[in-house]
Amino acid sequence: MDPDFRGDSDHHDGTSDATPGGYPKQRRPGELGFAIFLTVASLYLLYDAYGISGFTALSGAGSIPMATTFVMAVTALIVGLRTARLNKVAGETIANDILPVMVILFIGFLIVFGLLLKPLGFVLTAALFLTVSIKVLAHKGWGYTLAVSLGSLVVIWIIFRVVFTVLLPAGILPEAEFIQFFRNLFSGGAS
Amino acid sequence: METLMAILTIFTQPQLLLLVGIGTFAGIYIGAIPGLSVTMAVSILISFTFSWDVLPAISLMVGIYMGGVYGGSRTAILLNIPGAPSAIATAMDGYPMAKKGEAGQAIGVTTVMSFFGGLIGILVLALAAPFVSEFALTFQPRDYMLLAVLGILLVGSLSSGSLVKGIFAGAFGIAIGAVGRDPLTFAERFTFDLRLMEGGISFIAVMIGMFGVSEALQQLQNVNMKAVRQKIDKIVPSFGTIKKFLPLSLQTSSIGVIIGALPGTGGDIAALMAYDHAKRVTKNPEVPFGEGAMEGLVAPETANNAAVGGAFIPMMTLGIPGDAVTAIMIGALFIHGLNPGPMLMIDQPDMFWFIVGALMTANVFMLIFGLTGIKIFTKIVEMPRSIIIPLILLLSIVGAYAVNNSITDVYWMLGFGVFGYFMRHYGYPLGPVILGVILSRLLDDNWRRAIISEREDLGRFFEGIFTSPLSLVLFISVILIFVSQTPLWTSMKKRLFRKATS
Amino acid sequence: MSRKLIGALVALGLSATVATAQSYPTKEIQGIIQWGAGGSTDTVMRSVTPHAEEALGGTVVMQNMTGAVGAIALNYVVDADPDGYTVLMGAENPMLYKVMGLGDEDYSAFTPINILARGTAMLVANNDAPFDDYAGMLAYIAENPGELKLGATGPGGLPSVITAMMNTVEGELDVISVPYDGDGPALTALQGGAIDVMPAVLGAAIEGIRAGNMKPILVFDTQASAALPDVQIATDANAGYATYLPWGPFFGVFAKNGTPEDVIEALTAAYAAGAEHPDFVALMDGRGFTMMNISGDEANAFLSKWQQGTAWLLDDAGLTKASPEEFGIARP
Repeated sequence: MDPDFRGDSDHHDGTSDATPGGYPKQRRPGELGFAIFLTVASLYLLYDAYGISGFTALSGAGSIPMATTFVMAVTALIVGLRTARLNKVAGETIANDILPVMVILFIGFLIVFGLLLKPLGFVLTAALFLTVSIKVLAHKGWGYTLAVSLGSLVVIWIIFRVVFTVLLPAGILPEAEFIQFFRNLFSGGAS
Repeated sequence: METLMAILTIFTQPQLLLLVGIGTFAGIYIGAIPGLSVTMAVSILISFTFSWDVLPAISLMVGIYMGGVYGGSRTAILLNIPGAPSAIATAMDGYPMAKKGEAGQAIGVTTVMSFFGGLIGILVLALAAPFVSEFALTFQPRDYMLLAVLGILLVGSLSSGSLVKGIFAGAFGIAIGAVGRDPLTFAERFTFDLRLMEGGISFIAVMIGMFGVSEALQQLQNVNMKAVRQKIDKIVPSFGTIKKFLPLSLQTSSIGVIIGALPGTGGDIAALMAYDHAKRVTKNPEVPFGEGAMEGLVAPETANNAAVGGAFIPMMTLGIPGDAVTAIMIGALFIHGLNPGPMLMIDQPDMFWFIVGALMTANVFMLIFGLTGIKIFTKIVEMPRSIIIPLILLLSIVGAYAVNNSITDVYWMLGFGVFGYFMRHYGYPLGPVILGVILSRLLDDNWRRAIISEREDLGRFFEGIFTSPLSLVLFISVILIFVSQTPLWTSMKKRLFRKATS
Repeated sequence: MSRKLIGALVALGLSATVATAQSYPTKEIQGIIQWGAGGSTDTVMRSVTPHAEEALGGTVVMQNMTGAVGAIALNYVVDADPDGYTVLMGAENPMLYKVMGLGDEDYSAFTPINILARGTAMLVANNDAPFDDYAGMLAYIAENPGELKLGATGPGGLPSVITAMMNTVEGELDVISVPYDGDGPALTALQGGAIDVMPAVLGAAIEGIRAGNMKPILVFDTQASAALPDVQIATDANAGYATYLPWGPFFGVFAKNGTPEDVIEALTAAYAAGAEHPDFVALMDGRGFTMMNISGDEANAFLSKWQQGTAWLLDDAGLTKASPEEFGIARP
């Protein structure tokens, strides 16, 4: 995807949670915009927090929300001002380093997943998602793609739906009847 | 003698021993899969073991609990998705180790140290339960509030980049925790009059999104990179290594037991506090924290397993649950015809000692299962990324959904995943966000309780702090840690130091 | 294997077409529990359902769905098809959603399958509290206005109703109301001395009382409790309480209105059998609950009486967001 991949040796992409990305003395493309967005959003949340209970009482439901959103707004503003004074990193662009096509594509996949989950049901949506994304990423034949995606889906489905009885959205598949059929099969065999 | 017999009940009945073993084994995997929680597993077991006797049912639950708390570290180390909230701190140094091909070693240390922490927790439960529970009861709302403030100061050690960005992230986390209907007054907070916001934002959804989804999106940028070969020859840590970490693990285990014994705080907070403690007391780690320091694994893992024993202390002595899992176990004991409460220790001391025995056995099983399956587990990281990334994303979705059977949680998880992805790129630490969410309720609720109890009077509030020894100790710790973290102190120390040398 | 699968699929197609002809239940039933794992509602439902399953000959998969005082779970079941495959397992809270501004639906959108049991409220005090009985407590409050810390669990919760009752019967009591997120945490705080008095469900407090970790003050019932026969009852302390008692939180299983008659009948019979099971009765006795096991019109009458009494009590205390009148809840 990215030919001049910088690897994990320098942490500008935030390779782990304890070591976030960014450069100490330079700003990445979009960083200032992000900071401005955070400042504006924090200010709006501060206004919203004020609306909860105002300044009526120290014990009001809005006291802590107001305090935290105030801290958010101030720190976001400081970050924004500091960022504005830095020089841009040479050679980085949003399209290459922050939001490559593949990332946008997958964010799109996830949104579609969220939208289809309820009407289509978990099994079909997940099958679709796994197949398409493995196909896109692995560049392998359909046989391989389908085998891997459906195989792992069956394992996940059995663990969550059958063993832990998590009621994943059934959608258009008659999932419950299916399970009941096998349950009857077993109990029928036992009795 | 009778006590000893009660502890050893478990060995006299092979069936019980087997159940503890099965439970522990299952617990490790339940803990490792994000979205499957010990709480969930134990509540399903209530219906499942309904017709059983009480001892087998409890054996299975104890096993799952012990294994589950430990299992969370697996995915935290291998995939950067903490399988359980108590493994968040483990991901900070565990995942960097896996990236260097040291996953086997990381899991080995984690296992041995979890065993050690678990042991300390059980010993305290067995020997000092009444004292600890009495101490835990003396915590007043203001003490819980101070404890939360102490926790929030951990932001300093969790954000290795810019401190200002860390503070922002922490405050953001607290705000996330406040979303929804306030449980104390039912006032709507940050709901924007949307019905789907009323239930608040699931903490698990935030955690899975920020850690799992953002990591998966991150890795999309280098799909074709060869996976790091994992060295799996030195899994069991040497005696020297264990000895080196002994003092630290004793301290962090104590933190775990106390935090675990407090009703309302559990393994997640214990692990984060222990991580912070380790960072503070370890002057010269071999590898810097955040890049794969062993101390960063030892501390949270000893603490969260010690918290298991801790959580049983108020449950067994007072009938008060130490955390969500013990709350369900209390329900289970009820269903099986026992009356868990302060009288249980007096009426049926055997039950207490049986649980101690079962916990001890589960702890040993955890060590055995933990050290044997590592090779297969580390293979996960060596799988091609083109397969593992879609699977991580799918597991994240199922996991976020499973917690509360809510599609809204899935949307939150995806939203926070994308947001976390940007945060990473622009140098905002993610740890403090999670810390803020965990501590939000503790801080908010107890602040309000404390100030309502003092009739909105700040003077009386501080009077209360200064007249109670416990509050005073907590207050002074807050001040000391705060001062030691601010730039003012560092520059002052520098100046003082220079004067002294010149 | 594949032949088996094809067989399964064919059977599936057949079963889908003849589903109506087969007797209910043809698939597993979702039981949505309004409260979290380990709570009273959860414990009650998880202990009665296995007995009901036996009578029903089907599987009930129970899920905890928490949030917004149970409104999330209620709305989930309201949105589901009324086919009897999604039932709500809840407590008394939905009856107050409308007046508390928490939602637009309550149990009037549901058919009660079984109202299993009712809890009894009581007052318990910290051992160090400077009084030992109800009269002593009132005297202490009168002498020290604004000093007594009374536990609460948010508007609409049991403590708020009991406090409203006390304020109505005894006149305004000047106390500090300290909110907790459930009676469990509040009773813990009571033992640690963070609050002085807590209105709680008898079952939640009984073990602490037996061990001498807290002292009983008053039982809110019209007759003495079998578990605590020596504790004064509210109607003895002040006859004014008779207007509102007996009162207590309850647990029930509900199906959405519009569910086919035969399905309601099957479920009702199953849960009635489950509620009669000696193990369940013993469990409820042990936790200090009063068995009710009612359904149909009897349950509906109970629900509307409960709602009228409680909603107006809260409204008179000024705790509601909207008047009960707006929702056609008549004054009792």
